[in-house]
Amino acid sequence: MNIWLIAATVLLLGLIPCGVVCFKGAPIQRLVALEMAGTLDVMVLLLLAQGFNQPPFYDLALVLALLSFAGGLVFVRFLERWV
Amino acid sequence: MTVQGIGVAVLLFAGVGVILFCCVGIWVVPDTYDQLHFAGPATTVAPVAIAGAVILEESFSQAGVKAVLVAVVMGVTGPALTHATGRAARIREHGHFAALPEEMAAETTPANPPPS
Repeated sequence: MNIWLIAATVLLLGLIPCGVVCFKGAPIQRLVALEMAGTLDVMVLLLLAQGFNQPPFYDLALVLALLSFAGGLVFVRFLERWV
Repeated sequence: MTVQGIGVAVLLFAGVGVILFCCVGIWVVPDTYDQLHFAGPATTVAPVAIAGAVILEESFSQAGVKAVLVAVVMGVTGPALTHATGRAARIREHGHFAALPEEMAAETTPANPPPS
């Protein structure tokens, strides 16, 4: 267990507040928490790739960063117009 | 522990600390716009700090370059998404994005006169 994996484990604790807001908040607040959880997951994948010393795993973080942005925009447009 | 190791630990602590602080802020603050203020640093400061830690450890190897790429992508897309979310919140609240009459009146105080 190196410092990178410890940091990734500690960072996972941040999902708890995001989950609470996702369960209890208004729809737009749930979206903010979802976006924050996506950011947090990207950072966790980054730290895990470095912790396990597997450079190809960085691609997962990069793809998640791009897809969470696209997904967030879709949710934003959906909440803006219909819900 | 070497100077490099201390630098890596400090940058990691900063990155992880900023994200956890922002997560708790989103939980504690009740207003949507205030929550968005916490979403900003998590997508700009934290990726730069963590990518900096990777660069310190690996230099500009494949891992270092990819970490910088992730930080750049997060730094570009994060503020755009935050702005889009704020815009959606305002449209849901008022039905449109344009300024309200009372907001226009508040902007045209004697200290800030309207353009002639």
